[in-house]
Amino acid sequence: MSEPNTPDTPQENAVTPEVPSGPYVYDYAASPQRQIVMPKTVPLPSLKTYQAEVVAAAAADEAKWQKQLADFEVAKAKAEAEGKDAPKLPVRAVPRKDDNDMKTPWPVEAKDADLLKLQELLGDKVEEIFEQAGELVCQVKKEAILDALKVCRDDVSLKYEMLADQSATHYPAAKDFAFSVVYHLTSISRCKRLRLRILIPEGFSPESACSEYPSANWMEREIYDMLGIRFLNHPDMTRILCPEDWEGYPLRKEYPTVGWGQRDIDFREDRGGVLNRLAMEKAGQMGINLKQPKAD
Amino acid sequence: MPTQAIPMTLTQTLIMGVIQILAVLIVIFIIVPLTTFAERKVIGYIQVRLGATRLAGGHVGITGPMNRIMWGMGKVPMLSILRGLPIFIADALKLITKEDIIPAKADRGVFTLAPIISVMAAFGVFACVAYYPGVMFYMPKSWPVIGGLPFQGFITDVNVGLLFILGLASVGVYGIVLGAWASNSKYPLLGSLRSAAQIVSYEVPLTLSLLVPVLLSGSLSFKDMSVALSTGKDLNPLAIIPLFIGFFVYLTCGFAETNRVPFDLAEAETELVAGFHTEYSGMKFGFFYLAEYANMIVVSSLATAFFLGGHYLLPFGLQRFIPATMPIIGGPSFFFFFAKILCILFVFLWVRATLPRYRYDQLMDVGWKYLIPLTLVNLFLAAIIRFAF
Amino acid sequence: MFKNEEMEINLGPQHPSTHGVLRVKLRLDGETVTHCTPVIGYLHRGVEKICENKTYFQGQVWTDRMDYVASISNNLGWAEGVEKLFGIEVPRRAKYIRTMLTEQNRLASHLLWLATHALDIGAMTVFLYAFREREYLLDLFEAFCGARLTTTAFRIGGLREDLPPGFIKKAQAFQDLFLDCVDEYETLLTENRIWKKRTIGVAKLNAEDCIALGVTGPVLRAAGVPYDIRKAFPNAAYAEMDFEIPTRTEADTYARYLVRLAEMRQSHRIIQQCIDGLPEGPVMAKIPKILKSEVNEVYHPIEAPKGELGYYFVGEKGGLNPYRMHVRAPSFVNLQALPKMIEGRLLADVIAAIGTLDVVLGEIDR
Repeated sequence: MSEPNTPDTPQENAVTPEVPSGPYVYDYAASPQRQIVMPKTVPLPSLKTYQAEVVAAAAADEAKWQKQLADFEVAKAKAEAEGKDAPKLPVRAVPRKDDNDMKTPWPVEAKDADLLKLQELLGDKVEEIFEQAGELVCQVKKEAILDALKVCRDDVSLKYEMLADQSATHYPAAKDFAFSVVYHLTSISRCKRLRLRILIPEGFSPESACSEYPSANWMEREIYDMLGIRFLNHPDMTRILCPEDWEGYPLRKEYPTVGWGQRDIDFREDRGGVLNRLAMEKAGQMGINLKQPKAD
Repeated sequence: MPTQAIPMTLTQTLIMGVIQILAVLIVIFIIVPLTTFAERKVIGYIQVRLGATRLAGGHVGITGPMNRIMWGMGKVPMLSILRGLPIFIADALKLITKEDIIPAKADRGVFTLAPIISVMAAFGVFACVAYYPGVMFYMPKSWPVIGGLPFQGFITDVNVGLLFILGLASVGVYGIVLGAWASNSKYPLLGSLRSAAQIVSYEVPLTLSLLVPVLLSGSLSFKDMSVALSTGKDLNPLAIIPLFIGFFVYLTCGFAETNRVPFDLAEAETELVAGFHTEYSGMKFGFFYLAEYANMIVVSSLATAFFLGGHYLLPFGLQRFIPATMPIIGGPSFFFFFAKILCILFVFLWVRATLPRYRYDQLMDVGWKYLIPLTLVNLFLAAIIRFAF
Repeated sequence: MFKNEEMEINLGPQHPSTHGVLRVKLRLDGETVTHCTPVIGYLHRGVEKICENKTYFQGQVWTDRMDYVASISNNLGWAEGVEKLFGIEVPRRAKYIRTMLTEQNRLASHLLWLATHALDIGAMTVFLYAFREREYLLDLFEAFCGARLTTTAFRIGGLREDLPPGFIKKAQAFQDLFLDCVDEYETLLTENRIWKKRTIGVAKLNAEDCIALGVTGPVLRAAGVPYDIRKAFPNAAYAEMDFEIPTRTEADTYARYLVRLAEMRQSHRIIQQCIDGLPEGPVMAKIPKILKSEVNEVYHPIEAPKGELGYYFVGEKGGLNPYRMHVRAPSFVNLQALPKMIEGRLLADVIAAIGTLDVVLGEIDR
């Protein structure tokens, strides 16, 4: 295969002419949504967090009630002192009942035999097990994911034959991790599903699941392409959906949703290809991919 | 109907030759576009749709009166066979006026030569095809120079006509192979390799199946063979068996020879984009197109002449049961010949609409494992019938 | 002077039979494929990123654009996934209507597959026969939701509208017509010698490889594994339906053809049950106008015509948008099996294999 003709890049010390403003326009002010809003919370479903939240909410509710009572006492004393009517006794607020068909599926204690079996087999490699919305979730230590997958596939009482899906999520607001990687396993013979989850910090490379489940091949490539998580021992860790020389990882939260404005380049006027080259350079500086992909 | 040769001067021979050639060419140039039109319509009919309707479907124009009548009868004029007919003129205009693109890395000379070879080979064959075994009519006496001369039903009657036809038909594949090679592109190359292999393998059973009529009639001249086979005067009644088998083998090989479905591997558009003519456009492509349809007509006319009774009504030598004195069906007619050609052309279109495409290796299997043994056995049978009985 | 060299050829991205913009890099020895690499991404629009910035109601529109020949299946996956995330129970009538429309969409998708697959192999008439019936189905969709392809048929919590008047009558007319049409396709193909030659033993993928490579849908069922999410993890109203999972054991292209035809008959059966047993009642659950999620995470798989279509949602507290949305596209995973199916076979089999996998590039590239 021949190398596609890439535009000549100018020398480092060569004087690059000023980019004329005429033929192409970068409209920075076009979209007001250009500011990237980073998430402030870490929406990682977890039984421990939920229980802690419930406890905290109950405590806050109690504290509020106590404060109301105290306020009432103060107000009552004040009213008595001033000889006015006593204020009304405060009523403890009851959570308003929603008149709708929604029942939010909160995480509950793991009761399913599979999860208990997993915990028994993996021991302290398991960080957390719970069920939510009828789905089994097992969070394991990031180094132990391959062991967990092996157990899930090979153990006779588990027999999760197929890795149906693999995906990852970016949590920029979390402190001790940056991504969660989830593995959705399916047991075709037992009609069961299981979600394995690991939490990994930035720069950490988890073991690839390809050796256990060959279907992970493209899914891990997609995760790498979209979130920049590299997997160890993967047969071909390259981009899959974006071009090979794409800059940035689109599904990270800091990646902009809106582009850099419209590039309006009239190539017909550009006989020598100068404007084209300059536009490509400029685009490259801005993270826009205008370059031709390199042949592999 | 052999007639006495009228002595002609050189000038008269030349002029008559030119007239006959022009007549045949005009007929071909009318029939080929009509075949493409028929293809649209027939396949449309088979596929429960209308086919070409864009031109001549309205209330005005050439077909306007007919359409108006049909609308007046409360029917959509879809049955009007003329609906969409002028499309072939539009097609020709389009092909002629299109930009003629030659790829930058193509071999320009060969690239241009290839369609010419194809179309020449396809049209040259018509020189030996007899549309009527004898004189069709005499030129009017009042015309200068050629007055009173016979207009034959063939351009020339070569005594080894069949060899000439087979030889020239095989030259056609050079057009495909050279054109594809000169395109300097990968898909055409694959298409041309397929085509070459296919023609090589199918020429054998094709020729062997044509040897059956040669054996039975004892001639190689197109006219003599068709007359001998259809009137069946010297023919053994059993000869119908090898002729019948030979007809089907011949038709199968004819499909392969003309690159038609189910043997259209050379231009399998879902595999090789457009096969050997991927890089062709404009009238160069038009020539390949023309050659394909001309080849279809050649194959049909050969099948008609050698197997289906040629210019007589009944095929396979059954004509002997009709006395030659019967008014119309007793003698040869141009229209019988033509009608049979049309029937076989219809089969071409019908098969195209119905069958899937063979794979390359399966095509070779069919050719070498089934057709060649079958034709050999058939030839043996014909020889026994010819000489033993 | 003479040397033997393998030729590298790009099948696509502009090619008549790669069903979109799939590019397959092939290395050919003569006509035998020695190496094959699918290259995808030409249609990548970042649907997952877009959906992270759209509300749960708006995001469904983007699911139409993924598998655009089976958009109602995609709508169903989205709607049910979001309902699972919020814990919404859908009225029974809405479930029945959803089931009916999804099955009709499965028919439309399978018809399109049959049409293009047959056309790829060279049988062009089936194409128009199948499109004739598909047209009828698209008219039904248009009657229901005003769009033929990009339907956005459902709403979270049920349906926006009940069935339009006359819909059931039209659907029943189609039901009466359809089985004969399937027989008609079969007369053209099932016993056709060339069709059998082109498909039997071609692009084999046995059950172990299917499961290892994550291949689902008719391809898996043609390998003898009766795995159908409609039975294994029933969603919508499939639990109440009586139907069978057609399977074959040959695991080749012909088996997949037969499985899909049998599936069409089963879909026909399900639609009939939906029409006959359509319950009365509301079609929309009571849900707030603005949906705000809690911290939650669901993976909801449904049986799309191509295989397992899964939606993975992560919701944040008080979020109007999904924090993360991921689609497990069946074609994406199934396409991984292409090299395994065709290496060592002929070029014409590549076309048959791409056809039999029934890939839609809108879904692969997202």
